[in-house]
Amino acid sequence: MRVEMACEPALEKNKTTVLVVEDEILIRLMVADALRAQGISVIEASNGDEAMRVLQSSVPVELLLTDIRMPSALDGLALAQAARAARPGLKLIVASSQPAGHEVAGLADAFFAKPFDLKGVVQRVKSLLAEAHHARG
Amino acid sequence: MREDDAELLKVAGTILVVEDEVLIRLVIAEYLRDCGYRVIEAVHADEALLVLRKSECEIDVVFTDIEMPGSMDGFALAQWVRTNAPAIDVILAGSVNRAVQAASDLCDQQDHVPKPYDPQIVHDRIRRLLASRGSRKRDLQSALEQAHTDGARLS
Repeated sequence: MRVEMACEPALEKNKTTVLVVEDEILIRLMVADALRAQGISVIEASNGDEAMRVLQSSVPVELLLTDIRMPSALDGLALAQAARAARPGLKLIVASSQPAGHEVAGLADAFFAKPFDLKGVVQRVKSLLAEAHHARG
Repeated sequence: MREDDAELLKVAGTILVVEDEVLIRLVIAEYLRDCGYRVIEAVHADEALLVLRKSECEIDVVFTDIEMPGSMDGFALAQWVRTNAPAIDVILAGSVNRAVQAASDLCDQQDHVPKPYDPQIVHDRIRRLLASRGSRKRDLQSALEQAHTDGARLS
């Protein structure tokens, strides 16, 4: 017996999407859940290489939130640079347990120290997304 | 709508999706979220184990790829779930030939899904597994009660 679909997912949705890049699953889950609770669509990537596969696809992404230290060919800073080149209008937040260096200041829209102030991160994401929407008119 | 279909529609739960290819993972995870499930994404079995060991995550179904990098493939993960968290249902997805037999040995209702998979088929399998939980629990309960009665008679 074939069961009728319980839902008809709108695969082409005009939803705001944030790409969260974090290699520690429980931190990634916590951040992603907090953003989803605000109605934001979240794509999760566990490292810079996965994130670049998303950014090089046609999947819409408006903001990239990435950890700096990650076990992949691309760390967070290299990812941020590549992301800026691939998607010039992308908003960018970087996070690290180390203090922000000068390279972060010239690259990211915001920096967060880890462990995360989750409320602060969510608020900053929302304000940057609002800026992006305003800029787009 | 048939009565058993209506019963299936009431079922919701938390699905742990384990898939190392990000562009596949994001499609199936988003689809299942749209269908009303809470979805936790893991890239490989080691991440999945971290989630499964956290009791507050309350996973109902593990939907895992068979071939993954890391210390465990999907078969080993399914075996771990069977041994350590038998209340959690497992669905395997994969394209390797040996998957069919191995999946039927490991999973409820021979739940192997060939890749590339149709998200709707995955959703149907999850709903059926969750919907059958009540009757499976009742069967287990009656078996336990029968065993208890038999044991009391013997003693």
